[in-house]
Order: sequence, then structure tokens, then C-alpha cells
Amino acid sequence: MSARDRARRALDRLVEASATERALISLASLVLAIAVGTVLILVAGRMTTCEQAAFVLTHPRPFGLPQVFAMGFCYDPVAVFDRLFLGALGDPLRAGWDPLNSQFAVTLRETTVLVFTGLSVALAFRAGIFNIGTQGQLVVGALATAMAVLWAAPLVSGVLGTLLLVPLGILVGALFGGFYGAIPGALKAYADANEVITTIMLNFVATGVVLYLVSGILKDPESAANQTVPLPDYAQFPPVLFGEQFGFSLLALAFGLVAIVAVYFLLEQTTFGYDLRTSGHQPAAAAYGGVDAERTIVASMTLSGALGGIGGAIYVLMILGNFQTGVPAYGFDGITVAILAGNNPLGVGFAAFLFGVLKSGTTAVQFATDVPPQLVGVLRGLIILFVAMPEFFRLIGRYLQPPERNRAVATDGGHGSADGREGSP
Amino acid sequence: MSTPAVELRGITKRFPGVLANDAVDLTVEPGSVHALLGENGAGKTTLMNVLYGLYRPDGGTVVVEGEERSFESPRDAIDAGVGMIHQHFMLVDPMSVAENITLGYEPRRFGGLLVDRDRAHREVRELGERYGFDVDPDAAIEDVSVGVQQRVEILKALYRGAEVLILDEPTAVLTPQEVEDLFAVFEELTAQGKTILFITHKLGEAMEAADTITALRDGQNVGTVPADETTREELAELMVGREVLLDVERPETDAGDVVLDVSDLTVTDARSVVAVDDVSFSIRAGEIFGIAGVDGNGQSELVEAITGLEPPDSGRIVLADHDVTDRSRRGRIDAGMSYIPSDRQAQGLVMDFDLVANGLLGSQHAEPFASGGRIDWPRTRGHAESVIDEYSVRPGNPDASAESLSGGNQQKFVVGRELSRDPTLLVAAQPTRGVDVGSIEFIHERLLSMRGRGVSILLVSSKLEEVQALSDRLAVIYEGDFVETVDPDHVSEEELGLLMAGERPDGGLEAATTDQRPSAEPAPRGDEA
Repeated sequence: MSARDRARRALDRLVEASATERALISLASLVLAIAVGTVLILVAGRMTTCEQAAFVLTHPRPFGLPQVFAMGFCYDPVAVFDRLFLGALGDPLRAGWDPLNSQFAVTLRETTVLVFTGLSVALAFRAGIFNIGTQGQLVVGALATAMAVLWAAPLVSGVLGTLLLVPLGILVGALFGGFYGAIPGALKAYADANEVITTIMLNFVATGVVLYLVSGILKDPESAANQTVPLPDYAQFPPVLFGEQFGFSLLALAFGLVAIVAVYFLLEQTTFGYDLRTSGHQPAAAAYGGVDAERTIVASMTLSGALGGIGGAIYVLMILGNFQTGVPAYGFDGITVAILAGNNPLGVGFAAFLFGVLKSGTTAVQFATDVPPQLVGVLRGLIILFVAMPEFFRLIGRYLQPPERNRAVATDGGHGSADGREGSP
Repeated sequence: MSTPAVELRGITKRFPGVLANDAVDLTVEPGSVHALLGENGAGKTTLMNVLYGLYRPDGGTVVVEGEERSFESPRDAIDAGVGMIHQHFMLVDPMSVAENITLGYEPRRFGGLLVDRDRAHREVRELGERYGFDVDPDAAIEDVSVGVQQRVEILKALYRGAEVLILDEPTAVLTPQEVEDLFAVFEELTAQGKTILFITHKLGEAMEAADTITALRDGQNVGTVPADETTREELAELMVGREVLLDVERPETDAGDVVLDVSDLTVTDARSVVAVDDVSFSIRAGEIFGIAGVDGNGQSELVEAITGLEPPDSGRIVLADHDVTDRSRRGRIDAGMSYIPSDRQAQGLVMDFDLVANGLLGSQHAEPFASGGRIDWPRTRGHAESVIDEYSVRPGNPDASAESLSGGNQQKFVVGRELSRDPTLLVAAQPTRGVDVGSIEFIHERLLSMRGRGVSILLVSSKLEEVQALSDRLAVIYEGDFVETVDPDHVSEEELGLLMAGERPDGGLEAATTDQRPSAEPAPRGDEA
């Protein structure tokens, strides 16, 4: 059996893996990533100098045997991974753990925004569209939210203000993000423009135009940074249980969970979701089934953009309290979150949480150890890479499915394409 | 008794949830033509893929020319002298015949640095002459007919030293004339000592071409018989496991009002070639209008224009007194049009979806399966179950993905779904393609009962006996135009064959020819002509 055949078989095996198998594969990948990461930490720990070893590798000495071997390392892998995972949760294993701690708030804060960007990418993916533009949609939605809320804030105040302004902000974010997603959608549907190219380009457009506006007419005159005037407190997500200083609101997280369920419902239970999934799997079959391909593309891109825009709104209303340029790459992380989740909305919740843990754990590691931030970044990337790869190969394996596989059980083969018009790639 | 060319002993092959081959024994004598006959999903192709090294059996042994073998890949099988010609040809279209035949086994020169083209060319020509094949080594694959492409595939296997040739449904893509030529090739090959194993589900072909016939049913060998000591009825019964009615009885019905009226329809295809050239016809309620022709003469474009998948360039399509020319595909589904597409894997089914979701395809926008934009999944599941039940789709699991079904079962599911829609017009393109005799009988019965209930049916098929037996009127299409519209009961297969080749016989057909513009004046029914 050639290497090619073997690779192909491995891919097929992945494509056919059941949900439980996939969960186990993800877990095994995580363990493997930690193992490889440990080696990296040890190697890096030998290559640097320090006064006292953080970690000593030696053998056990029962019965008072003399120590013949010991090697010191500057970084302790156990401590690093302990901080990365447990630190992000605020040490749940320690006595007197308070779930309302600051590290856990940061974890959930990141999770909340990533839920929306992850859903945005996953929804488009399910329609067979590769939306790289969630970042741009998020930026546009964020600025629009900030402007709308700033404009409306003087009209109301107090609790009523929160009740009106937060939903208004989210709505405006969704509208602008949706509109910004609809542009590449329409270009794809009616002008056959590749959405990967157009969405990447529109990301640059969004960042550039927003920078121009926020460094110019929309700039807070009293600030040196490129940012808008701060929103009044009553126009932001109210912190629930968690302290105000963490920039996290349980309400926003709950809204994220509702969004997960809503997207799941939309995809699985509605006619629109059926049309969308059919288009994503097999455009020819969708056309046969009476699906309007153009409309479905524009609608899914609009929805995807709206989810990205809501992510932007949450970023402004919960985290920042105004709009600043230099928005973190939530949109791009959303692509990885979606791949990690296998484009399943329910999986997006877990994947976003893993991302949140890693992001918040990074600061915990830096706080507790001497490990340089670059190395922590490498470890984070390693974990994401390892966990995402099986899903990524599944996607590739699906794409490359050899004709034989289609006949694994179809013993008489498909006569359907006897006229050589096999529609799917 | 000579050593068998191939001997399979107790071959067992399982796929998740399916036992595809159940301890199959098969002995093939050298220098003979052996047909492997069976229904869709009987395990024929699986068995041959085991022999060709594509699948590893879960049990049993493969013996080739007296030697026990264990093939890791097709390469091993080829080295052992076993070649396989797949149903979908594995040829590189822009490359020449000679290049395709020698691909991967090119004669080389300069120590393997360059391909010795001259020698490849010479060897291919010699090979062709030796077996009496008329192929031009320099022709590009894309320029030669399907029949020639198949011969190139056979030569490719021979070039690689095959002694045993396996052909998977070799006649599925051929015209009747090409089938005859193929069977002549079989004779020539066996005369020169080669052994041929071919898969088919067509009784007539097995009887005509094979020396020995082995029938498979549900993955088991249910009998091996010499071809000249059996009858079609016996074979059909062996294959299906019960008695089968082979002839279609088309009862008398009275055609009603015109349901579909197509006038002056012209369609150009993606390459801006006129595929359908100013075609007009109409179909009445309770009438089957057949279109016969060699694949690729505009049938698919005509069907796509009528079903709303491709906009026509000009012309008018009227369905039940409504002009639907500008209506979308969905609009036409809503107007009561059902469509069995010829390509079930690309169009008729979403391969990754389970049967429940596939049963919804085309009905997802309207009652009773959806209301207010929400899908009624329990009802949809019930619908899929009833289609599976009524059309005996196997395996009968609504949660199985469409992809996991065999071609024939996929087709049965599509047919069942489309017929259950209760249409006013049914467009059926190759409705029994790749389906076994038992199911063909059943699908034909269903089509006729729809006709009896007053449904208009447009039937497009490359199977002559099918369109001839079922149609009330039969149009022969050639290069996008109807050559003739004939009464199927008063035309011979030879005459149809000539018409399909675009030749209008002088005289002789007059009696059978009906009015060419049936929309202007209803055509007389067959028995009245």
C-alpha cells in the first residue's frame, strides 16, 4: 500500500468518525499538545540562564540511595500548564475558590465575544461559504453600536436607559454587521466573486475607514488615543454578580448561549436552515429542491455578518465602554473556533470556552512564572493547532473523497453520473 | 478439468451495518465469459473490488490461477494478471489514447528519464491489432466516443498484462450498437485465452454474452448456471427470489386535457451550443410521452428547461393552463411538477443527509412538511419511512445517509419521493437507471398507475425497450431536435435505432408516424392509428 493510499485511508477514517470518537480525538490531541509543549518548555528552560532552577528532573531516592543524576530547568512545565488551565479558572481546586474571581471573569468575557464570531463563521461555513470577513463585520458593528448608543444616550437614563440602549446597541451592531456581510454575499451571488477574496479585502476596508473616522471626526477630543467618547455607564451591559472592573456581564454570556441555541434551531428546525445546509453540501441538489441559490447566499452572509456585528456590539457595550481602534482579532479567532467546533453551533460554545481559557490563562502564566510571553503564545498555538487539526483534516477528507468511497456500500455504484455530470467536487 | 482462472472461496465483506458479501464462492473457468448477475445492492461490485484488491475481505481467500493471493492494492492484482474496468472510466481526457494506455507503465529510455513515446505508440498499435480493436493511438480521449473509451480501458488492462478482465456494468453507458460491438470484443478476447468477468443486472445481456452466469442475492451466491441452459424467467427468479413479470402491460386509458404544452423551445447550453432546437410538443392528462435518443442529444437540457433549472432562450412552457416559462424551480414544484432527475447523486439526493432529510428535498417550503418556516420533522420522518417501506429501500433505516445506499436503492428512494408528491406532471429522466429487474417492474407499475390516475408523464430514457413499452407517444430526439414522433406500438427497434442515429428512413415509417405537431392536433392513440 502506497503512502498515498495510507494517507487517504486515514482521512476516510477521520471523515467517518462518530461524535464520541471525535470528542476522544480532541481530548487525545490536547494531551499530545501538552506533551509536546512540555518538551518545548524544558528545552527552552535549558537554553536560558537563571539563578535557581524552577524544575529539577531527577530520579527517586528510596532507602537513602545517593543522587547520581539531576538536571535543572529554568521553567517548570507543570506550573505553566497549571496556570494556563487552572489559573484561567481562578484555581477551582484550591480551597475557598470563588467562582466570581477576576481570572474567571476574563475567561468568560473572551468566551462571550468568541461565541458570536464563532457562530458567525460556522453559519456561513454551513452554507458552503468561507466568511473570512467576520473581523471586518465585527469592527463595523462595533463602531456603529458606539455611535448609535452615544447618539441616543442623552435621551434616556437610569435603568430605563440600560433597558433601551443595550438592545438598541445590539440591534444596530447586527444591522451594520449584517449589511457589511451582505456586500460580499451579493457579490458572490450575483457577480460570482470569490467570497474569500472579497471578505479579506473588506476587512482592510473596514479597519482603514474606521481608523480614519475615529482618528478624525469621531475622536474623543480629550484623549490622545484613537477612541470615541466613553459611553455612560447606564448604556453598557450591567455586571451581574461579577465586579464591574472585569468588563464582563453574565447577561451577555446568557445572550451568547441564547444565540447558540437560536442558530442551532435555525439550522436544524427551519426551512431556511434546511435550504442553507443543502446549498452548503450540494448546490446542484439545492437547485433541484427549489432553493433559490442567490437568495440563500445573500441571506446566510447577512446573518453571518449580523452575528459578527453583535460580537462587535458586545465588545463595545461590555468590554470597552467606547470604541477604540486596534480591535483584537476576535473575528479571525472565530474561524478557528468554528473549525474546532466542526461548524456545529453547540460545539461553538465549548470551542469558544477553550479559547477563552487559553487567552485568560496566558496572563495567569505570565503573572506566576518567568516564562516569556512568546513561549506562552507558542504553547497556545500548539494546543489550538493540535485540537483543530483533526477537524481540519476531516474537512479536507470530505473534500477529497475518492470515487471508491462513494461506493463503499453502494455496491452497484452510482449510475447517476454515468453521463459524467457529477455535480459535487 | 483445467485450473480455474479465478476462484473465490468463502469471501465475506462487511461494511458498517451491512453484510455486503456473505461467504461467496465463485469459480471462473479460463477462457470463458462469466456474468455476475444480481439486483442493486446484491454485492456484485463489492465482490469484484475484493478480487481487484480495492477492498480487503473480512474472510475467505482469493485464488488466481491456482495460487492463493492476498491483494493489498489494485497494483498487486494487476501484477497477478487481474485487471478491472470501472463503470466510470479512469482516463485523462486531454491525453492521447496511447498515453492513457501506457500511463504508469510507460516504456522508458535513457535509464528511465524519458518516456519512449515511439515505443509506446508502437506497442499500443500492435496490441490493438492483435485483438482487432479499431482505435487510433493518437486520438485524444475527449474526442472519441464512450464505446471507444471503454475499449481504451480494456486495452489499458491488457497492456498491463491482465489475463482476467473484470468489467463493472460495462453496458450502462453504451448505445445498443456499441453493446453488440462490446460483446464481439468479449468473443475475440476469450478466443485468445483471456477470461472475462462482467457485472450486470440486465438479464438479456447475461444470457447473450456469457458462458456461465452466477446470480448474487443479498450478498450470497444463489446459483451458477450455464447460459444456454437457462431462461430469462429462471434467472429473474433466481436474482429476485420470486417470480417477476418481465413484460409491461399498458392498459387502455383515455387521455384528458393538455397538461403540459411546450412550444418553440430553444435552449443553449453552457458552451453556447444550441442544445434544444425549436422543440414543440404537448402531453395530456393520463398520457406518457416518451423521448428516446442517445444520451447527450439535448435530453437533459430539454428536461432542465421544463423543470425550471435552466432558463430557455426562447419558447413557452404552459403547465395546466398557466404559463410557467418565467417561474422559478420552486414555483414549478408548487404548481405540481415532480421530477426524477437522471443524476440522483448530484441532484436528486443530498449525499451527506440522511433519508429523513432527503425525503424533504423539494417539499421543504410548503405544507404539510413545513409551516411558518418551521419544519415538521416527525411528519417528515414518517414520510421517509413510508417511502422506504413502500418502495422497499434497503437498508430500511431512515437515519442512514443517502451516500451509504446502493445506487439502485438511492433511485428507488428518489422515485418514491417524487411519486408521493401527487403531481399533475411528472418528469422522469432515466427513472430506472441502475435499478434491478424487480424494482424496474415495480417502478414501471407505479408510473402506469400514475398515468391511470390522470398524471401526465414526460419520460426520457436511453433504454429503448422502456420508452417503447411505457409511452403512449414516442419522440426520437437527435441533436436537439425531434426527428420523428412515432407510435411506439407500431415501430420496430431497428427503425428506432436508425431514428436515434438521426436518419429518417424513406417511407416504411409512414404508418407509425403520428402528427409531428401534436399540440396543433391531438395525436391518435397507438391502437387507433
